[in-house]
Amino acid sequence: MSDKKYAVEVHNVKKRFSYSRHKNNSLKRAITQVFKKKDRSKDTFYALDGISFNVEQGDFFGILGRNGSGKSTLLKIISEIYQPTSGHVKHRGKLVSFIELGVGFQPELTGRENVYLNGALLGFSRKEIDAMYDDIVLFAELEKFMDQSLKNYSSGMKVRLAFSLAIRAKADILILDEVLAVGDAAFRKKCNDYFETLKDDKKTVILVTHSMADVHKYCNKAIVIEKGKIIYEGAADGAADVYKSLFEKK
Amino acid sequence: MWTKLYRKYRYSLILLRELVITDFKLRYQNSVLGYLWALLRPLFLFAILYIFFVEILHIGKEIPHWGVALLLGVVMWNFFQEVVGQGLKAITSSSGLIRKINFPKYIIVISKSLSAIINLAINMIVVGIFAIISQVELSWGMLLIPLFVLQLYILGTGMAFLLAAVNVKYRDVGYIWEVVSQALFYGSAIMFPLNRVVEVSHDIAVILAMNPIAQTIQDARYYGISDEIVTTQTLTENTLILLIPFIITIVVFVVGAIYFRRRSPYFAEEV
Repeated sequence: MSDKKYAVEVHNVKKRFSYSRHKNNSLKRAITQVFKKKDRSKDTFYALDGISFNVEQGDFFGILGRNGSGKSTLLKIISEIYQPTSGHVKHRGKLVSFIELGVGFQPELTGRENVYLNGALLGFSRKEIDAMYDDIVLFAELEKFMDQSLKNYSSGMKVRLAFSLAIRAKADILILDEVLAVGDAAFRKKCNDYFETLKDDKKTVILVTHSMADVHKYCNKAIVIEKGKIIYEGAADGAADVYKSLFEKK
Repeated sequence: MWTKLYRKYRYSLILLRELVITDFKLRYQNSVLGYLWALLRPLFLFAILYIFFVEILHIGKEIPHWGVALLLGVVMWNFFQEVVGQGLKAITSSSGLIRKINFPKYIIVISKSLSAIINLAINMIVVGIFAIISQVELSWGMLLIPLFVLQLYILGTGMAFLLAAVNVKYRDVGYIWEVVSQALFYGSAIMFPLNRVVEVSHDIAVILAMNPIAQTIQDARYYGISDEIVTTQTLTENTLILLIPFIITIVVFVVGAIYFRRRSPYFAEEV
């Protein structure tokens, strides 16, 4: 084996889910299930079925696939939110993932209070937020609204605030799950600039997207996932073609 | 290695601090008097208890400063109740966060328990005020009260870890705990002195006093307020029985912490 240091290694990852996993929330069910002794394999399916790939330092790595193909599950396993049923993942360097923007926002608190709370989730102390607070607000264009509670914000305002915070995150590896598929033209422009700086800074980025324009523009490598398996791995342009062909079959 | 350890520790602390602040702010949101309620609420509550149980029913009249002892017991019980009650909901009520980011889950349980400590501190001020009014004499024994509170805290967080983890899979836990905590409340001799139980049956009193909630609360009353209050040590000289409340405390904490730690990687998909 080569001793190349990959930023992210995914090795033969499988993830099994049970169809009825949300219905088992009471003791009664647990007890009746013991007596039924049902064959469990019929209730389960593999959301990921043997996924392996490596991401090199500085890659802008795309993950493509239709809805329900297992992309989000894969991202959650790489981010160590989920545990794989078998196989393993490894990463080198600080990893920050944005499965969603504005996670942990409290609608009852003001914009300002939410900046500190969300900042803490990203690992910033009060002091560090103090230092960058003005920049965050300026970038989000919310100067006049910071003392209002978040419940009065429009969804666009919330996303702007969350994005403004997210781009401060200090990470070697960034994981982005379609977080940027929202917002107007001005917002997309900002995202664009952010992606460009990530590329220039040689950050490792794993991006899940349905936008082939983004894939062509930023990604140097990509995989396509279908039914929990990798059906393509390689150059981004080829991935985009495979992805498009998924929709042409029928 | 050390820097990695430090980074992990630092993140937990930052997060813990913000979660406690958020909790406190949310609690008194949209109220005119705001944080003042943290002080007013126990004050009124105590006044009611005091008038009803001590002045009208004359419960514990034979024990000097029973009123203050009653309040101290209620405060400690409420503290325990808050640590466990809030803690057991901690994971399920933060499902949005847990499903979207990876962070040490125990932080949420601890943050709830720290909020409870803040409340306890405020409540203790009120107990202190009543103690002054009631002219409880100052004693070195009072310094032991924080130790009993610490023991209660260890027991409570252990319980909270265990129940929070079980609650992810079985939501029955909340209901079961409600019933169990009622039993514990009456079994810990909080609204009445343990002396009353001794009058009925010495053995029952000993059994009750083996429960760490009863032991911590009666001990705190005994050392801090009046040595006429019956506690585990005044009931028996059997070392094993004296040790049982401490053993229970440690076992509950260790079992709770280990179980929580083992289950926490799966919270995100189960919650």
